[in-house]
Amino acid sequence: MVSEKVVIRNLTGLHLRPAGILCNKAILYKSRIQFRIGNTTANAKSVLSVLGACVKCGDEIEFICEGEDEKEALKAMVDVVESGLGE
Amino acid sequence: MYKGTEASAGIGIGKAVLVRSAEPVIRRELAADADAEVERLRKALADTAVRTEKLASELASRTGEKEAGILQGHLMLLSDPTLIGEIESFIRKEAVCSEYAVEAVCSAYAGLFSAMDDERMRQRAADVKDIKNRLQQVLQGIEPEDAASLPPGSVILAKDLTPSMTAGILPTHIAGIVTEQGSRTSHSAILARALEIPAVVAAAGILDAVSDGDDIIVDGNAGEVLLRPSEAQKAEYRQKREQFLREKKELERYIGRPTVTLDGVQVELAANIASPEDVEKVLRYDGEAIGLFRTEFLFMDRTSVPTEEEQFRAYRKTAAAMGGRPVIIRTLDIGGDKEVPCMGLKKEENPFLGYRAVRLCLDRKEDIYRPQLRAILRASAFGAVRIMIPMVTSLEEFRETRQLIREIQKELTEEGTAFDPHIPVGIMVETPAAVLLADSFAREADFFSIGTNDLTQYTLCVDRGSEKVSDLYSPFHPAVLRSIRHIITCGRNAGIPVGMCGEAASDPMMIPLLLAFGLNEFSMSPSAILQARKIITGYRTEDLQEMAAQVMKLETAGETEDFLRAFAGC
Repeated sequence: MVSEKVVIRNLTGLHLRPAGILCNKAILYKSRIQFRIGNTTANAKSVLSVLGACVKCGDEIEFICEGEDEKEALKAMVDVVESGLGE
Repeated sequence: MYKGTEASAGIGIGKAVLVRSAEPVIRRELAADADAEVERLRKALADTAVRTEKLASELASRTGEKEAGILQGHLMLLSDPTLIGEIESFIRKEAVCSEYAVEAVCSAYAGLFSAMDDERMRQRAADVKDIKNRLQQVLQGIEPEDAASLPPGSVILAKDLTPSMTAGILPTHIAGIVTEQGSRTSHSAILARALEIPAVVAAAGILDAVSDGDDIIVDGNAGEVLLRPSEAQKAEYRQKREQFLREKKELERYIGRPTVTLDGVQVELAANIASPEDVEKVLRYDGEAIGLFRTEFLFMDRTSVPTEEEQFRAYRKTAAAMGGRPVIIRTLDIGGDKEVPCMGLKKEENPFLGYRAVRLCLDRKEDIYRPQLRAILRASAFGAVRIMIPMVTSLEEFRETRQLIREIQKELTEEGTAFDPHIPVGIMVETPAAVLLADSFAREADFFSIGTNDLTQYTLCVDRGSEKVSDLYSPFHPAVLRSIRHIITCGRNAGIPVGMCGEAASDPMMIPLLLAFGLNEFSMSPSAILQARKIITGYRTEDLQEMAAQVMKLETAGETEDFLRAFAGC
C-alpha cells in the first residue's frame, strides 16, 4: 500500500467536472484507489463517492493505492490533481 | 416588471414558451425475477448513456468541450460503480422494479447533496435528479422534452431547467431564459452564459402571470423581465440590445492581451472583490490580480466575529483560485458608520474621524487583529498574498502592525505552520497625513495603494453622503491630484509599486493622467477591466507627460475636469 498527500487547487473544489476527470484517470488502474479527507474515505473510481466527500479548494487529501500497479496509480492521481483537473 | 437575479448578460426580446417538466409517476411495483429486472436496468442505463452522449456531442459543437463537461459528468454517473451497485442491490433486496430502486437510491443521494454547505455541491442534487428522471423516462418509454424543437425567438420560462433540457437549447432559436428558481451557479445559468443567451433566474411569481405566446423582454444585465411590453418599451430595449452587443464585441478583443501602452510601459490591471465568490468574475474579465480584497463582508450580518479558521478558508480559497497571481488583502476597515452587530461598536458623532480601521484593530488585537493576520499569513502559503493596512495616519501604526505580524510569523514557525516569510505589507494611502509622510512611509512599506474615495473625502473635508455638500466632492480637485502625484513620486523614488483601488482607477478621464504620473497598478470592479485595458493600450505615456504638466497648472476642480474630459474625448 502506498499513499501521498496533495492539496486541491481547483477554484470550485472537486465538483462534477474535476471529479469526473479524477475518476476517469483512476479507472485506468487495477489497484484499489481511495482518498482520505478528515474522517471520510472516498472511492476515487466513483464520481458519486468523490462528490460525496465534498472536497473544497485548498483542502488536503491523501491518496491511498493498493494493488499490483499501486505506485503508477498513485503517481497518476497526484499528477492529475496537480495538473489542475482540467481547469 | 419582474425582478430576479441576473444570470447571463444581454437583452432578449421574444415570445414566451412555458416549459413544464413532466416527472414520471413512480410506484413501488414488485419484480419477482431480480435477474431480469437488473438486466432491464442495465439496458436502460446503456440507452440513457447513448442519448446523453449524443446530447453532449451536440452541445460540445455549440459551446466547446468545457460546458459539455457537465453532461460528461452525467455519463460518469450513469456508469458509476457506487450508484449502479446500490440500485442493483436495492432491486435484489427489496424485489422491486428498477424505477422504484432508481427513485430510492438517487433521491437519497440528491438529499445528501442538498444538505451540503457548499452551493456548488448543492447543485449536484440537480444532476442526480436529472439522471433519475431520464432513467425513469427511458424505463417507461417516455420521450423527453426537446428544447431543440422550439421556434426562433422563443423565451423559455420554467420553474427550473434541468441540465439535459438546457443542453438541447439552440442559441439561434432561444432569445432568453427565465426561471423562478435557481441561482447564478445553477447549471442553467452557467450554460446560458456559455451559450450567451440572456437569462434571469429566481424571478419569483412570473409563471402565474405569463401565458404561452406572450411578448416578453429579458434584461440579463439588470435581472429584469418585462411581460407584454409596449411598442415604445420594445423599441427602447431593441436599442439597448444593439448597444450591448456592439460594446461586448469591441471589449472581448481585449481578453488575453497584455496591458501595455503603445510605448511599452506595462501596468497591472487588478480587481476589487468582496468575497471569494467574486474570483470567478475576475477571471472571466481577465483580471491580472486582486488589488483589493475587502474583508468586511466576513464580519457583516452575523452575531459573532468570524473565527481565524473561517477567515483562513476564505483567504486561502481566493489565493489558490488566483493561481499565483497577487492577492492584496485589506485588513478590517470598519467603523461606527456601519451596522456590524458582532463588533459591538458604538455610534459616534464623527465615525470617519473616529474609532475605525487600523485604529480599532490595534486596540482589539486579541479578538480582531491577531486572528485576521494569522488567517492571512496562513493563506499566504497558498498564493501570492499581500497585506494592506487601511486608514494609516502615523508610522507608529504601521510599525506596530509589522511587529504584530513578526510575532505571528514566529508563532507559526514554532507551530510548523506554512506561510510566506517575505509577505509584502503595504498601506492604503488615503489620509492627508499619509500623503504628506509618503516619503517616510515609502521607506518602510512594501507597496502603496491609493484609496481615492477616502482620500478625496479627507482632503476636501466632504462627506459624499451629505446632500448639500456632495457636489464639492471631486477627485479632480487640484489638491487631490497633487496628492496622488506626490504619493506616486514618493513610491517610485523608493522603488516600491504604487497602485490605486478607488473609483478613479477605472475613470477614462483619470487613466491618462495616472499613466503619466507612473501608476503601476489599477484596481477596479471586474466588469470595468476590459474597458480600462482598451483605454490604457491606446496611449503612449511619453505623449501624456505634456498633458499632465498642463493639467497640474490648473487651479480648480472644474478646470481640470473639463480639460481631462476634452483630452479623453468623453
